[in-house]
Amino acid sequence: MHQEKEEKLKSIRKKLKELLVANLSLEGVKPENIKDDEILFGEGLGLDSLDAVEIVVLLQRNFGLEVKDMSEGKKIFYSVNTLAEYIYENAKK
Amino acid sequence: MKKQNKRRGNDFGFNFFKILTHCAGLRGAYGFLYIVCIYYLLFDFTAVKAAMAYVARRFPKDNILFKYFHVYKLFVSQGKQLIDRYAAVEAGKVFDITLQGYDEFCDLLKSGKGFVVVGAHVGNWQVAMTILRDLQKTVYLIMRPEDNPAAFESLKVGKNEAHLKFISPDGFLGGMVEATNALTHGGVVCFLGDRHYGFDNVGIKFLGGEALFPYGAFHLAACTRAPLVVLLSAKIAHEHYELDARKIFSFRYESGSDKKEQLKKWVQKYAHALENYVHKYPYQCFLFHDIWVKR
Repeated sequence: MHQEKEEKLKSIRKKLKELLVANLSLEGVKPENIKDDEILFGEGLGLDSLDAVEIVVLLQRNFGLEVKDMSEGKKIFYSVNTLAEYIYENAKK
Repeated sequence: MKKQNKRRGNDFGFNFFKILTHCAGLRGAYGFLYIVCIYYLLFDFTAVKAAMAYVARRFPKDNILFKYFHVYKLFVSQGKQLIDRYAAVEAGKVFDITLQGYDEFCDLLKSGKGFVVVGAHVGNWQVAMTILRDLQKTVYLIMRPEDNPAAFESLKVGKNEAHLKFISPDGFLGGMVEATNALTHGGVVCFLGDRHYGFDNVGIKFLGGEALFPYGAFHLAACTRAPLVVLLSAKIAHEHYELDARKIFSFRYESGSDKKEQLKKWVQKYAHALENYVHKYPYQCFLFHDIWVKR
């Protein structure tokens, strides 16, 4: 069960990284070079509020998900890991 | 980044004009403006300087005396529209409002899709907002309450019964997550497109110089594939406003092209519409801020 979850999360993280590189202006960055715990906004990948629009849209279009609770938003959008966890938890429902 | 919101006049002055409007009607209240605005022209150096940035570019060939006269006319025009705003929003006065681009706007509403509205500090945008309030859609204003406290109070933004809400750009990720969700659910997201307030902006040709305009609205529209409407209002006669919603754009990013360059072209279209407006209604541009790049 745990292994199944890990496999699923690994697949989500991989897809997320590919989508981030394909949709955002991340020059010279390859999906495999993005760390799982890489901070998305500010530090780390250095994304900004305009990149947030594209991430919200790719969440909707690729995973059918929406972040409605802004108080949870900071945790969800913190890193690739936290975003993948959110997708895994909510895609199950 | 925090901005000190400064408005011309004080509570006594505003209350005086409110009472005058009730007792003497709009024209009676307008009459006093001609005297009051002389005071501001002579003594409110900050306001004059702020207005002069626009006046100098709109009337580049006029000498300094004429430019001061244009500033005076701008103050009077703004004063009249502030009185109108009070009358429309708080005193229940009904103005004639015509909508240019009515058919296209109705088609947009019938589609049920969310869309982005980009206005400007021209005409009476608060009167324009009262139109949006009647749309049977939830309308979100992207602005900080402190940037326009009077508008927030007068439009009852955020109050329970209102379909007008605000999203602060100081909020989580600049309010963009909420704005994107709003569009997905068929809401209307409104920006003022002629001042960047410190947020992401791009240099655009406007009135003979390079001015900095924000591009967030255009990026949001392109990413979400939502239509973008340029909505400008103008007072065209006594008790009569015209809203212009003829410019409806569908912006899409082209892959392989630099996004910033694409955004710049789109914002330029908006600036072009605004420039046409200020050429037609020179005394209804209430920017009161130097948006031009110093060379």
